[in-house]
Amino acid sequence: MTDAATREAQERRLEKTWETPKGFAYWSDVNNTSVGIWYIVTAFAFMLFGGVLALIIRAQLAVPEAGLVSADTYNQVFTLHGTVMMFLFAVPIFEAVAILILPAMLGARDLPFPRLSAFGYWCFLIGGVFVCGSIFFGIAPDGGWFMYPPLATEQAGIGADIWLLGLSFIEVASIAAAVELIVGVLKCRAPGMHINLTPLYGWYVLVVGGMILFAFPPLIAGDLLFELERLLDWPFFDITRGGDPLLWQHLFWIFGHPEVYIIFLPAIALLAMIIPTFSGRPIVGYSWIVLSALGTGFLSFGLWVHHMFTTGLPSISLGFFSAASEAVAIPTGIQLFAFIGTVMLGRAQRSVPMIFCLGALATFVAGGLTGVMVAVAPFDFQVHDTYFIVAHLHYTLIGGMLFPTLAGVHYYFPFFSGRLLSRRLGIWSFWLMFTGFNVAFLPMHLTGLLGMPRRVFTYGADRGWSELNLVSTAGAFLFAAGFLVFVWNCLKSWKYGEDAGHNPWKAGTLEWLSPSLDIGMRSIPDISHRYPLWDDPDIVRRSLEAEGYLPDAEEGKRETLVTTVLDATPVQVLRVPGPSFVPMVAAVGLGGLFILSTFHFYWTALASGLLYLAAQIWWLWHGAAPIPEKTEKDVGNGLVLPLYRSGPQATGWWAMFITMTGDATAFLALVFGYFFFWTVHPEFPPEGSVTPGMFWPAAAGLLTALAWGLTLAARLRNAAGAVTTARFLLGLSVAATLAAAAAFALGPLTRGMDPTSHSYPAIVGALVLWVMAHLLAGAIMQGYCLARSLAGKMTPDYDADIWNVTLYWHFTLFAGLVTAAVIGFVPGAQ
Amino acid sequence: MSKAAPHKRRRVETGTDLCQVIAAPIVWSLHFLACYVWAAIHCEKAGRMADLDPARTGIFVLTGIALALIGFNTLRLWRIRARSLTDDDFDYDHDTPEERHRFLGHVALMLSVLSGVGVIYVAIPAVLVGTCR
Repeated sequence: MTDAATREAQERRLEKTWETPKGFAYWSDVNNTSVGIWYIVTAFAFMLFGGVLALIIRAQLAVPEAGLVSADTYNQVFTLHGTVMMFLFAVPIFEAVAILILPAMLGARDLPFPRLSAFGYWCFLIGGVFVCGSIFFGIAPDGGWFMYPPLATEQAGIGADIWLLGLSFIEVASIAAAVELIVGVLKCRAPGMHINLTPLYGWYVLVVGGMILFAFPPLIAGDLLFELERLLDWPFFDITRGGDPLLWQHLFWIFGHPEVYIIFLPAIALLAMIIPTFSGRPIVGYSWIVLSALGTGFLSFGLWVHHMFTTGLPSISLGFFSAASEAVAIPTGIQLFAFIGTVMLGRAQRSVPMIFCLGALATFVAGGLTGVMVAVAPFDFQVHDTYFIVAHLHYTLIGGMLFPTLAGVHYYFPFFSGRLLSRRLGIWSFWLMFTGFNVAFLPMHLTGLLGMPRRVFTYGADRGWSELNLVSTAGAFLFAAGFLVFVWNCLKSWKYGEDAGHNPWKAGTLEWLSPSLDIGMRSIPDISHRYPLWDDPDIVRRSLEAEGYLPDAEEGKRETLVTTVLDATPVQVLRVPGPSFVPMVAAVGLGGLFILSTFHFYWTALASGLLYLAAQIWWLWHGAAPIPEKTEKDVGNGLVLPLYRSGPQATGWWAMFITMTGDATAFLALVFGYFFFWTVHPEFPPEGSVTPGMFWPAAAGLLTALAWGLTLAARLRNAAGAVTTARFLLGLSVAATLAAAAAFALGPLTRGMDPTSHSYPAIVGALVLWVMAHLLAGAIMQGYCLARSLAGKMTPDYDADIWNVTLYWHFTLFAGLVTAAVIGFVPGAQ
Repeated sequence: MSKAAPHKRRRVETGTDLCQVIAAPIVWSLHFLACYVWAAIHCEKAGRMADLDPARTGIFVLTGIALALIGFNTLRLWRIRARSLTDDDFDYDHDTPEERHRFLGHVALMLSVLSGVGVIYVAIPAVLVGTCR
């Protein structure tokens, strides 16, 4: 028990430690609350921009043969509308909301890598402004949001490059968020929050984070091939030189379909938090929802070809994907029934978030039913590329993502602003949007069945589509009016809204525990219930009276607890970094690399890339795994925890593992590219092709193994206290790595392979480039460890750096050996 | 043995874990991928008018293996099947490692069933489609 004066002093120290910087330094903040709010506001700003584009589309289509915009501008407008809504709103809003609310929900003070969140945000902002801004110069991408080759690879201008490079850059932000959120859910839950007591939102975030790791990397690999074709004329998708446009469709949709669920699951995760609150009871079927979310996550990877039903694949292939597309309705249905069951068994309370939830369920069910229809291949043949699909996808996305997100904004507005949104304006905005949406999109089913294709900039009056289109346009403007009411409600209530007080909705989950955003909670309580605020009436008092953990910040350092994955036993005090401009500088450098490359300013792009590298190394050197001033500390209630962990016990190791899992997926997507070509060609490599031979690939493989072995030996020797030997081994490993990279290059170079001649040398070149880039990064990491050791920042006791680098090398060894085997030893490659 | 015994007996971080939970869906994924790749390569190499039988046999064998693996997993999890310590239901909101073990066992068991259904769904086209058209 501590007295009031001590408690007050503790609270002041905590507040000072977690204080948001003032003035310009505000933009150096990395705390999840600031970054989360920036993220949400930016995503909604892009959404408004995408909405204006949608209104231009609808205005152009309101009457037949309208001339509001030219065909070229129309192409840019619809491409950008899809791109912005998917990449700059639907996916980032998940990251935004999760970064904002997840730590409080789990009982953490912040996510484990706050600077990574900030870096992701700045990447998103820069990439988004770049992609959106292009339309004002008439150079926006105009090949549709999925950029099908050969149209997109062969068209002039830089629209497609803007799309590719801008979005690749934004994908970096998504993967950064996935790493952050997965580690957050698994390792940063409050003590006692066993995995069966974790809020459902946490489960959904975990599933979606995992999905991002397997869905986004194939697109990154696809982007790489695509850009190599556009910039260097390597013919991956050019059928005249052994390429195949279908490879892009596969890589795009292996990303694109799971992405639909990456958007949908976190949005209904919000329903899983809101519905119990307003039904006044715990969720019905918690375990069923968890298993359904997991099941949906897996099954959603078996759906991608249903976007390619009309590409002429054998009917057996269509059958597999049709079957999986129907199967995914089972777990999706279970979740929705659990939500409806909760409403039925509880005492539903009228409120704006709840009305959005119910609107979302109704709309999504309609979209889901047309989804079951288009999963049937013969029906899809009829409606493919018509407005029926436009109607279907908007029902799923607006019902499955937008309405739940708006429900979430209404629900969590008091959480991050301390004020309530106006109920009257909320009801107005809902009904305007719900009515407008249905007036706009319900007729589109019919327009599509009457044969109106997607993406046409106008149509003849004799087609019989005129009235339906006019109705859709009216609905779209009604919808927009509703959205503007929502925006006005947010702006007005931010300043003048009714004071929300503590826990305004009488919710049961942990995020409503504490009124203070910056410090998260006064002290971190032990958790013993799924709805602690309902079932543990004493918890608020315990937390506020500093009876939980980490009630103080004696050393003025930002700290949060790390707990075990299954049973949330505390194992470490994690010191998280505070405000810094470094993430922003790193994002500017990386953004410059991508953006300047689009305009073919290669030297400036290289300089920008070096700026990124310098910032990244500075960031790691000064911020990552610092040696603490003492080995352990008392976190309250007599619990003493270590301040430093390395290897599989450390959050950094997990982050590396998760990042490299995504990286390995991208690599496997490239290998898939090779075997895709092998499948579609009678002989691959084609007879008479120049190949890299066996010698150099074999040498490269052996040197990669040597570099890996030296790195591993350095880690083991370092841990055993033989620091000098470890340093010597690290020095040798850098040399072996550089030799391995050279050996990979020498195979194709000495044989004179020309990557522009055929898809075979091109895919070999892509694999070699991939593995060389990883070897060079590996060499930098080995050098970094050597420098850390020499500077006394890495010691036998404090060896997280080399643990993480060794882990990176396990994956690099895999990529190196597979590449060497594929380019040197596959039959025909010698 | 007292009623409270199980939650005293189980140590933290033991029992069902997340890897066991995703085992069955991983079998589904591998089965799905193997069936698709097998049929796609067969049809690409043999031509569009070719008979699908060699690939169908392969798909049925793969389906048998996948169902056996999932079945084995289901049987193993069936032994855990236990209700919640709190209310003897399937809500699993007790705060002990034993409850967490039971919860994950239940989730894994039901995911096994879902994965089994998924595997059967994927095999149905191979029953119905006889050629590479």
